Amino acid sequence: MQRVKNAVRSRSIHVCVVDTGSCNGCDIEVLACLSPRYDIEQYGIYVHNNPREADVLLVIGAVTPQWEDKLIALWEKIPEPKAAIAVGNCPISGCVFNRHDSYVSAPASKFIPIAAEIPGCPPRPTEILSTILAIAPLAFKDFERERK
Amino acid sequence: MKRTVDVSFPVGPVHPCWKEPARVKCETRGEYVLRAEVELGYMKKGIERIMKGRPWQEVMFLAERVCGICSVVHNMVFIETMEKISGIAPAERAAYLRVVANELDRIQSHLLANFSYCYTIEHETLGMYLLDLREKVMDLLEKLTGARVNKAYMVPGGVRFDIGEETRHAILGSIPRIREETKRYRGMFSGGPMIGLRSKGVGILSREDAGRCHAVGPTARASGIAVDCRQRHPTYMKLGFSPVVRDEGDNFARVMVRFDEAIQSLSLVQQCLERLPEGPVLAGGICRAGETVHRGEAPRGELSYFVKTDEYGRIAEISIQTPSIMNIEAAAHYMMTGAVSLADVTSIFISADPCIACTER
Amino acid sequence: MRSILFYLREFIRQEWMRKFIFVRTAPLLTPAYFRDFPVRTGRECTHCLSCMMICPAPGAIEVVREKGEWAPIIHKGHCIRCGLCVEACPEGVLTSGFVLERHAEQKTSIRAEYHIQIDHERCMRCGNCCVACPVNKEVDPQMGAGGYSSNDEVIMRIEGGRQRVIHEERCTGCKTCEETCPNMAIRVARVVEVQQEGNDEARV
Repeated sequence: MQRVKNAVRSRSIHVCVVDTGSCNGCDIEVLACLSPRYDIEQYGIYVHNNPREADVLLVIGAVTPQWEDKLIALWEKIPEPKAAIAVGNCPISGCVFNRHDSYVSAPASKFIPIAAEIPGCPPRPTEILSTILAIAPLAFKDFERERK
Repeated sequence: MKRTVDVSFPVGPVHPCWKEPARVKCETRGEYVLRAEVELGYMKKGIERIMKGRPWQEVMFLAERVCGICSVVHNMVFIETMEKISGIAPAERAAYLRVVANELDRIQSHLLANFSYCYTIEHETLGMYLLDLREKVMDLLEKLTGARVNKAYMVPGGVRFDIGEETRHAILGSIPRIREETKRYRGMFSGGPMIGLRSKGVGILSREDAGRCHAVGPTARASGIAVDCRQRHPTYMKLGFSPVVRDEGDNFARVMVRFDEAIQSLSLVQQCLERLPEGPVLAGGICRAGETVHRGEAPRGELSYFVKTDEYGRIAEISIQTPSIMNIEAAAHYMMTGAVSLADVTSIFISADPCIACTER
Repeated sequence: MRSILFYLREFIRQEWMRKFIFVRTAPLLTPAYFRDFPVRTGRECTHCLSCMMICPAPGAIEVVREKGEWAPIIHKGHCIRCGLCVEACPEGVLTSGFVLERHAEQKTSIRAEYHIQIDHERCMRCGNCCVACPVNKEVDPQMGAGGYSSNDEVIMRIEGGRQRVIHEERCTGCKTCEETCPNMAIRVARVVEVQQEGNDEARV
């Protein structure tokens, strides 16, 4: 039973994208994943943009002051089991914005637990795709057993 | 004045239709939108503050990251501002290559904007076709610059990488196919009866209103104002450029202007590559002190940089004016007011092609 | 009705049918010309630090000593894959996509010079900058805490109650002095020019 659940979970992933102040570059690379060339949906990944239905949260952007509390609230709305992936340099290190005098408060792992990071400014769609596919079976494996 | 308002209806900040956080507050009576207001401020990073006191090789990358969709034009306008300050003339071959990169970037930006619009009016088939076409343009850009989104292609005095003979033929060879497909999708958009119902006569921005709210770019050109900064750019003047203008001023016209401009950009790229002069791509030159304002045409409209540098070419003061802020105002105050249905609010907002990352920096 | 016909016409096109039935997603490869994270070519690094000085991203590249040899390290998550370090390196230690190849083809070079600017109104003559400077340390290891030195080869020293820059041309642009200055009185300007060989016109 558990094995069936694991297999099903890793084949149907609902993704929510949240932009916490990026330059838009990573946004359009996530969007490009939808395109017929990369076709994210053939792997059972569905970009939903609704945190209540999501399994995976893609965090994009260095966290701006407006998002500091909202990101945590959004994370809490996602039902278990869940995983957050940091897309691009911004949520990992702040990228070029992480300088004296800027408003960003990177990294995003200060606010929510990040399961995987995709470096690059921005990462290629293939990198995003393979990371989501790689993280899904690991993050959702034996979820019921671990909760007990 | 007392107004009767049924519901003040918020759209956003996280909304399935727009990829960036923005919030639209609509005051409604029934389905009828009385007034709309856009609230911004979710993406403020303070880029202009970081830019101060840094040399061009660092600011160039920050300028690119003002907006990821139209990164080439930000790079281009910033570098041209620095060249204007320091009196550097770019190499002739580089000037043409800049236009090639800029126009390819404009095509992918317009296709993306049209994809978002089609996606918003739930015409996903056409949206996916456009997104697929955009990937082909991205391939050409990648061949030219070596990166997909933030290209870092231009430096003071020229461009970083020369175009090889092989790449030139590859780009020239794929232009007819892209043009043919763009024309086909344009025909699908203009001929689709359901699309017409959702787009024609929705979100009308009259010529007077467009002038009043200083709309720029395709939003203004769809309302009959022939404004385009490329008319004053020396390289574009050699290519015989004239802007695309339509008079309807509704959602349909804005999307069609973008289609037409994409087709026009393709022929500009073709012209540039065909008459590409031989020679070096870099002229060299050191950035010096001075201050100036320079304007360029981003895919969304007029983009202007005010830059003041100190004796070693570091940025002392900088102020960026991006096109989206005017278009967002136009969308909120003129197009949305009087929209018959709340369902049109998202499509009107997307048709003005707002770029929140640009607007707030 | 018209729209149903429209879709029917769209879906019986031969190209659409062919694509619908036969097309699978092509193997998604990263093309060779893509500027990926720089990797080492195996040539010897001379520890000139040109790559670190040009890097626009904070903390993206570091030159460290590895098994008795200097070697640049790229920090993923900080590196923005701009490829400037590849171009700036005079030895060709790093490579990334087509950057190194095109760079050699076009004979482009990045020339950097560094200028030290001192705000004498703010300077307290503590000598921290002179002591911290790594070039000074190499030239005159005996330099005392006050930044005094009898060696004429140092970049800067405290002389007669004033900070004086003697050899600006030796500065490597590392900005160590800027970081150690308690009063933000010293600033290093990195002036960079990108040039191409065989191009003498349009020189300013």
